[in-house]
Amino acid sequence: MSNIDNIEPPLIKDEVGSLHPINQVKDFLLSMLADLGFQEVDGPEIESEEFNFDMLNIKKSHPARQMHDTFYIENKSHVLRTHTSPVQIRSMLEAKPPLAFSSAGKVYRKDDDATHLPMFHQVEGIYVDENVTFANLKDLIHQILLNLFGKDVEIRFRPSYFPFTEPSAEVDILSENGKWLEILGCGIVNPIVLKNCNIDPEKYSGLAFGLGVERIAMLKYGVNDIRGFYKSNLDFLGQFK
Amino acid sequence: MKFVYQDLLNFLSEKPSKELLSEKLFQLGHEHEIVGDIFDMELTPNRGDCLSLNGLARDLNIFFGKVQPYKIYEGDILPLDFNFKNLSTDACPKISFLEIEIEGAIAAYKPYLENYFSLLGNNKVNFFTDVSNYISYELGQPTHCFDSSTMNNQLTFENKICQESFNTLLGSNINLEGKNCIFSVDNKIISLAGVMGGKSTACSSQTRKALIECAYFKPEEIIGKSIKYNLVSDAAHKFERGVDIQAQEKVLRRFVAIVKDHAAIKNFKIQTFDDTAIKQHIIPIDLERVNKILGTNIEEAQYLMILNRLGFEINNNNEVNVPSYRHDISSQNDLAEEIAKVLGYDSIKSKPIEIKNNLNESTSHIHNIKNFLVQNGFSEVINFPFAASKDNKSITIDNPLDSNKPYIRTSLKTSLLENLLSNERRQNDLIKLFEISDLYSRGDQINQEKKLGIIISGRRGHNYADFSKKLDFNYLNQILNEGIDNNIFNIEEISRADLKTKKKDKIFYTEVLIENIPPDIYKDYSFNKEKINFIKYQPVSEFPSSVRDFSFSIVDFKKYNMVIELISNFDDDILKHAYVFDFYENKKLKEIKVGVRLIFQSVLCTLSEEEIQKTLHRLLKPILDLEGVSVPGL
Repeated sequence: MSNIDNIEPPLIKDEVGSLHPINQVKDFLLSMLADLGFQEVDGPEIESEEFNFDMLNIKKSHPARQMHDTFYIENKSHVLRTHTSPVQIRSMLEAKPPLAFSSAGKVYRKDDDATHLPMFHQVEGIYVDENVTFANLKDLIHQILLNLFGKDVEIRFRPSYFPFTEPSAEVDILSENGKWLEILGCGIVNPIVLKNCNIDPEKYSGLAFGLGVERIAMLKYGVNDIRGFYKSNLDFLGQFK
Repeated sequence: MKFVYQDLLNFLSEKPSKELLSEKLFQLGHEHEIVGDIFDMELTPNRGDCLSLNGLARDLNIFFGKVQPYKIYEGDILPLDFNFKNLSTDACPKISFLEIEIEGAIAAYKPYLENYFSLLGNNKVNFFTDVSNYISYELGQPTHCFDSSTMNNQLTFENKICQESFNTLLGSNINLEGKNCIFSVDNKIISLAGVMGGKSTACSSQTRKALIECAYFKPEEIIGKSIKYNLVSDAAHKFERGVDIQAQEKVLRRFVAIVKDHAAIKNFKIQTFDDTAIKQHIIPIDLERVNKILGTNIEEAQYLMILNRLGFEINNNNEVNVPSYRHDISSQNDLAEEIAKVLGYDSIKSKPIEIKNNLNESTSHIHNIKNFLVQNGFSEVINFPFAASKDNKSITIDNPLDSNKPYIRTSLKTSLLENLLSNERRQNDLIKLFEISDLYSRGDQINQEKKLGIIISGRRGHNYADFSKKLDFNYLNQILNEGIDNNIFNIEEISRADLKTKKKDKIFYTEVLIENIPPDIYKDYSFNKEKINFIKYQPVSEFPSSVRDFSFSIVDFKKYNMVIELISNFDDDILKHAYVFDFYENKKLKEIKVGVRLIFQSVLCTLSEEEIQKTLHRLLKPILDLEGVSVPGL
């Protein structure tokens, strides 16, 4: 080493970039669902009211349909989808049970504060077959949450309300500080929705669930401010390599 | 909705502790927070029937039994000869009026009424309105009190298109527009029905004779009105969720009873205008179906007991009669949910499921493109689609969040340029970003295209070989177009002329349709979606960074590796980044020059020179203590 000819210049490492953390989590969830048997389907972010609301049993009087909650476009001819469920509706119309679809992507709500954004991401799943029960739904949700949060995760199911599922539930996990954190919504597909998709609700039943990708990402990475994901700050993004 | 713990206990046979009550409310799906003795409920929008003490007690009857702690006036009541015209029975199929006159002033309120104001922090208004508000808390039915002396002519209800201003009883003047449910006298609007009454007919402390209106308004006709006119209205909250159409007489009899508790009544009369034949909602008993929905083996006796305790009656045809206040129940799935809630969702045992499906191989094309870019140092961004400027294909948002951005973007360019400039302002000198997104435009129909946008500016790299080179057309062209027939990436330079920036580095941009990128060109960059590294995120600083460059002269070559290691292994909260940006071997002088850039930044504050010097000293001292190592000029 005492000879200058033996000196190696510093190694030049390729400077790699990063995938957006939200897309990383979204892809991770989709991959997990694919392993469970769900086929990924895609659909438009600009939707008709029919697919975004009517087919999902969200009645004209539902608060979500108000101008203060939903972005309407082109003289109310369409909406920016408020969830990824219309993708599942479109897919169900073209398939016959048994069917298992996952859908993921951007969704929009007219909301903007410290904890809500006008655009965020959802991953949803639906499974329709004969004899699908709430007990089956619980098993599937357990599998998903165990995959996400480890085998020791403590889970609770709480009754909730979604027009497209009945019974409906919200699922919480017990956090390290002893508080319950809401993780996902789920339920048995409302027979009205099956009927709207030309599926005989007397013969078939289904389960459905939806997760907020940002919420999972915040919990898993320890990000406290949801707005950080959309500032496109390289100091922020560069951490998720 | 807030309630006082003790108030609800009065409606229950058993007296559960706060903890047990809270547990059972959660089990039934009624989220809440508890502060002291106050339960702050966050009920789902389908459970308007629970927006009162009586409603919650009905739901809790299964666990704790329910009693009726309040009295209602049981005697005969004379009919009210009242001049009323309902022009919109669709919007208001049933409405009742109580006219009541008292003698003298009201002395102190009885404890149950007084506590409603003192414990829940509600403001008293006047006697009749206070009773009305209390009854809404107790029974869930909003009522509105008019001062009878202001109601001399015919009262009309109508759901009609309005275009006039209206002065609410709180004094705010609102301009009604579109279709509204209104009450009017002599063609003058006196109340925005189901939301808020008007000032001209409001009761006051002087009112001795009041007309109490008690109605069922169709939720669809009330919904959104309070937000539209920026009115805070408990009545609207309840009407939007549906009240009990059968409860009007009971509510008005309760009104009489409370007034009687506080004053001598001179006179009272009631009239109901019922324009609907109320249909009993019926669901056949189908326990097998309920068990099939839930995956349970509930016995019939238990099933019937639960329904009965929840207020459902079994009729002679062995069918379930749905109570008039349960607007949320219409199917076997609804009944299954009722049973599941009482059993407790957590007590329903999971049953393994094997999903049967024929999986199609999903395309990994987009993931390969992304992985190729990431390997080449690009970072992915995601932007909102809202845009300030439009082109002839732009789609317009009717109700944008920001009125300055009423369009949906048709290109990724503006978003990526904003991202680049914001990173430049944050002192980043190497910026390579990309975004893949669906874009929407207007044609005969709405068109959807998936596009990739890439933007670059600044240094090529932070290593000594690339530090002085700039990202340019050739760089991007070589990465993207080399080896591809027909250059598919059209690269343009974005002029800085109109940008508010002092930076001089050139900006290059390209945007391409994903479908135009041949699927096989990035096939070697396959992507493992299952692989994810859940790192522990470190908060990003919002304070400026400080840069210090040092040129180390090393004449004792044995120390070269030590210098590099001391710099690489130096750990300090404020040293954000350290890298070798220059390396030069001067064989003639037998000297190695190593240029090191140190970037300091704190997440807590803007760093002072003293703080930087302190850290620098800790870093440099052991290096400069090495013989044969120096920083000329230091």
